[in-house]
Amino acid sequence: MNTPAAANRMVAPALTATGSDGDTVAEAVDVTRVFGDGDAAVRALDHVSVAFGRGQLTAIMGPSGSGKSTLMHCMAGLDVVTSGRILIEGNDISDLDDRRLTSLRRDHLGFVFQAYNLIPTLTAQANITLPLDIAGTRVDQAWFDQIVDTLHLRDRLTHRPHELSGGQQQRVACARALVGRPSLVFADEPTGNLDSKASADILAFLRRSVDDFGQSIVMVTHDPGAASYADRVLFLDDGRIVDEMHEPTTARVLQRMGTFELARHS
Amino acid sequence: MWRVTLRGLQGHALRFLLTASAVMLGVSFVAGTFVLRDSIDGSLSNLFSQAFKGTDVSVRGAAVGDALTEGIVIDPTGASSTTRPGVPLSLERKLATVPGVARVVPNIQGTAIIAGKDGLAVRSGGAPGLGFAYDPSDPAFTLIKGSAPTGPSQVLVESSTLAKAGLQVGDRTIAVIGNQTRPVTITGEVSFGSLFGATAVLLDDATARRAFAPDGTVASISLTAAPGTSQETLRAAVAGVLPASAEAVTGEQLAQDGEASLQSGLGFFTTFMLVFAGVALFVGSFIIVNTFSMVVAQRTRELALLRAIGASRRQVMTVVLAEAAVVGAVGSLLGVGFGLLIAAGAEKLVSTLLGVELGAGLPLGVPTVLWSVAVGTLVTVAAAVLPALRAARTPPVAAMSLDAGAAPAGLRRRGVIGGVALVVGIVMLAVGVTRIDAQWGLAGLGSGLCVLGVLIAAPLAARPVVRAVSWPFELITHTVAKLARRNALRVPRRTATTASALMIGLALISGTAVLASSAKASITDIVSVELTSDFVLSGGASPVPETVAPRAAALPGVQSASALSGVDVHAGSFSSIATAITATGLADNFVLSTVSGRLDSLGGHTVLVDASTAAARSWHVGDTLDATVGTLTRQRLTVGGIYADSAGFNSHVIVDRSLYLAAAPDTSRRDIGVYVRADPGADLAAVRAGLVGLVQPYLVVSVQDGQEFAAAQGASIDVLINLLYVLLLFSVVVAVLGIVNTLALSVFERTREIGLLRAIGLRRRQLASMITIEAVATAVFGAVLGTVLGLGLGVALQHGLASRGLGVLAVPWSLVVTLLVSSALVGVVAAALPSIRAVRLGVLEAIDSV
Repeated sequence: MNTPAAANRMVAPALTATGSDGDTVAEAVDVTRVFGDGDAAVRALDHVSVAFGRGQLTAIMGPSGSGKSTLMHCMAGLDVVTSGRILIEGNDISDLDDRRLTSLRRDHLGFVFQAYNLIPTLTAQANITLPLDIAGTRVDQAWFDQIVDTLHLRDRLTHRPHELSGGQQQRVACARALVGRPSLVFADEPTGNLDSKASADILAFLRRSVDDFGQSIVMVTHDPGAASYADRVLFLDDGRIVDEMHEPTTARVLQRMGTFELARHS
Repeated sequence: MWRVTLRGLQGHALRFLLTASAVMLGVSFVAGTFVLRDSIDGSLSNLFSQAFKGTDVSVRGAAVGDALTEGIVIDPTGASSTTRPGVPLSLERKLATVPGVARVVPNIQGTAIIAGKDGLAVRSGGAPGLGFAYDPSDPAFTLIKGSAPTGPSQVLVESSTLAKAGLQVGDRTIAVIGNQTRPVTITGEVSFGSLFGATAVLLDDATARRAFAPDGTVASISLTAAPGTSQETLRAAVAGVLPASAEAVTGEQLAQDGEASLQSGLGFFTTFMLVFAGVALFVGSFIIVNTFSMVVAQRTRELALLRAIGASRRQVMTVVLAEAAVVGAVGSLLGVGFGLLIAAGAEKLVSTLLGVELGAGLPLGVPTVLWSVAVGTLVTVAAAVLPALRAARTPPVAAMSLDAGAAPAGLRRRGVIGGVALVVGIVMLAVGVTRIDAQWGLAGLGSGLCVLGVLIAAPLAARPVVRAVSWPFELITHTVAKLARRNALRVPRRTATTASALMIGLALISGTAVLASSAKASITDIVSVELTSDFVLSGGASPVPETVAPRAAALPGVQSASALSGVDVHAGSFSSIATAITATGLADNFVLSTVSGRLDSLGGHTVLVDASTAAARSWHVGDTLDATVGTLTRQRLTVGGIYADSAGFNSHVIVDRSLYLAAAPDTSRRDIGVYVRADPGADLAAVRAGLVGLVQPYLVVSVQDGQEFAAAQGASIDVLINLLYVLLLFSVVVAVLGIVNTLALSVFERTREIGLLRAIGLRRRQLASMITIEAVATAVFGAVLGTVLGLGLGVALQHGLASRGLGVLAVPWSLVVTLLVSSALVGVVAAALPSIRAVRLGVLEAIDSV
């Protein structure tokens, strides 16, 4: 891509930045998400404000029920916030109707899910270009080739999902997320169903797409090893951002998670 | 296990409701048929107990030869028939002297029609206008208003007839009584109960005798027994004094006979309805199979878990079958309710089509409910057996695997079996119908095999047909249509089963349509080729009065006017209704080709025979037959000529009119029509005007030229065909439910995929389009198979019937196009509900669902 990768990696936005500058691709401003009401109300996000840097791989970590998935869903326009604002490329998406949200997801966001979520009736190639096909946009063939070759999917393009291994399916899902040059890719436990070798492949690719293509990625994960590929790790607990870490390593993340557990149990 | 069954039903309430409605539609036909039959039975026993009130013994002409039942003969006295000679009125006095006879009432009866307020004849459907002598002591009729008629210009009119006429007691109108038209005054109103649509006019005794028994004979004489004398005792006593030409029967016997003959006519209608009930249930069973297969597939993990924790195969199977039983029973009960509606509709249909009013309401008997529920439940359970077996075979280990969907089995074996069945079927059908004497057993078996073959091989046809159907959509909305096509072809077997329901319905409709339009075209063709009459005078269901033909012949510009009628002829084992006409009438109006002898030899006891009868009986020109003609026994008939079989002239023997006049008693003569040939060069418009003026007083007689006559024949087919379409529409409704069901299930199955598509940017409208295109593709797939199958079978059957009057093949292309287009609409309608469901799915919930 155009943006020099190295320069991008150096950018580290403030932990709770509320303004939107050129280096912020998406931003949550004082976001609260409450499920249910009355006594049964659960506050999944509690006044969260966070900015995601352009050309960065941001990992979101936290114990189960910490609100990490909810945060991602709200950021991605898949879920609505109870209060607060979500900005994508500086545009407030909190009040958009379903039609506009759909267009936003289609044209500006990419998704990688834990369970691959490919369309079983389509070939790998058709799955990759599906968002562009739905939008009726022409596929940038050079870009498509670059992604496919990077992911080593060239000889799998005509295969159906059930003919692919889990790792291959997830690579197809990654290609699909990137093919439309989205502003931001959301990856929800992308390695949750994969063995260590396949996981490493996927994470290396995500890393590479940030470094080489300047892609912005937000990844929710349980795995400290996966988080170590990120530029920055956000730690959520009880619907709040409790910490963040730059240039993480597996050991440091593991250690930090451990303190969570201690805090929880004390 | 019951708890699992109930939970299963609760969890999939909607889909089971849809399945139950399919069962409901099928069962409603069964229930409706039973209700209608009970209603007919009730009305009939009512009618006959009314008609024979006071008749303990009836004296009638002894039967000559075998009685022939033709169509629906409405005749409440059960006495008139061309095969019986009249009973002389002179017997009246003799019968009165028989010990045990309390009362003697000759049944003086004939045709009588009055003009209503609008000046047109009062009649409905095919039921006749009856005229009787009024006898105040006859308990069958009750005078409820006015006074008894005296003299030839006074009549009593039965209540429902009076209502139809829009007239009141005291009004004056025109009546056609026997052969005479005269102005009459209505002096009173009598009630009779249900006449099954017939009209009734009563005259004073002397007038009735003059009009209906001019030759001194009547169809029958009713006797009432003195108190203490049983019907049988009286019958025996009366039989002793009767001449050989007459016989005595008890009133009970008469009522039974009459009821039986009417029932055989109306029984056709109920049989007809049962056939459609069968079709609807058959079509419904496809839906049941599909629903249970899909539910079982979706619940593989749940069922496997049951197996893993120790449930036996039998128990798993029981769970599925028990669900089917509950669904079947619920659907059947709903069907009984719906059946009452259908029966009400059918009664309406019977009354408008056949002019038969059923007065017994809608009796819902316990047997009706039991039978309907039993049939519906059994069909449902039987249809669920295959899916239940599949469920029972679920390996316990399937509970552990994430991917529950089994790999689709190959279709090759199915294709081979279906293909072979289809080819063998086509060959059998082709051989069956191309034989000179069509082999209907072979043809029927062949047709069955064809249907079966298509049903089995249908999944193979799914790919090309669905591809072709979705092609135009792919031009408009490429990706959405492609997704839809792929979805439709994901499990070709399922798509084919779904489409099969529609296929069967449309095969029946299009096959029927081919036969119907061929029949219409053939009639028109036959009439235009074989009928050379300039005009035909006919009275519909009523006979043309005997005086019409001679008076028409006397009109200026008329070359000949010939009455045509029918008479029973028996010769040895041969029995047929012969056409009676004069040689001139035959030559002037009908084109028959001579095989041997001379057709103009018709006259006196010289008759003509068609070629196939002559061949079958080894009759040759010059042979003499010992035959019974109408009431004349031991007649020596000479074969004067043999004519080629004719579809238009649909009778095996032609006798001279003079023989008919001698053989048929006055009371039973019925001229079916009068065929008029104009002088060469005559002004046809003037001749027509003359004929119209002549028949006007007869109320019921109309004048038609050849084309109009042909069109009128075709119109009667139209009525029948429309009835068929309405009934077949039910199977289409069942088919729509099937598509709804399958789509709803597959939307459910694909929840995660739908969630993903929405997440990556598929709009709601695009999602709805995708489901709609899938439905349209499925529906059109079924319609194409069904239409092709129906057209094929229709054309084959037409070929087989070519020698029986269906010589012209007419394919109703406009109907075919309509069917295909409306099947696409069927798809759109069927997709509505599943689309709404899919669109309402939350993106997140959908993605997170397992």
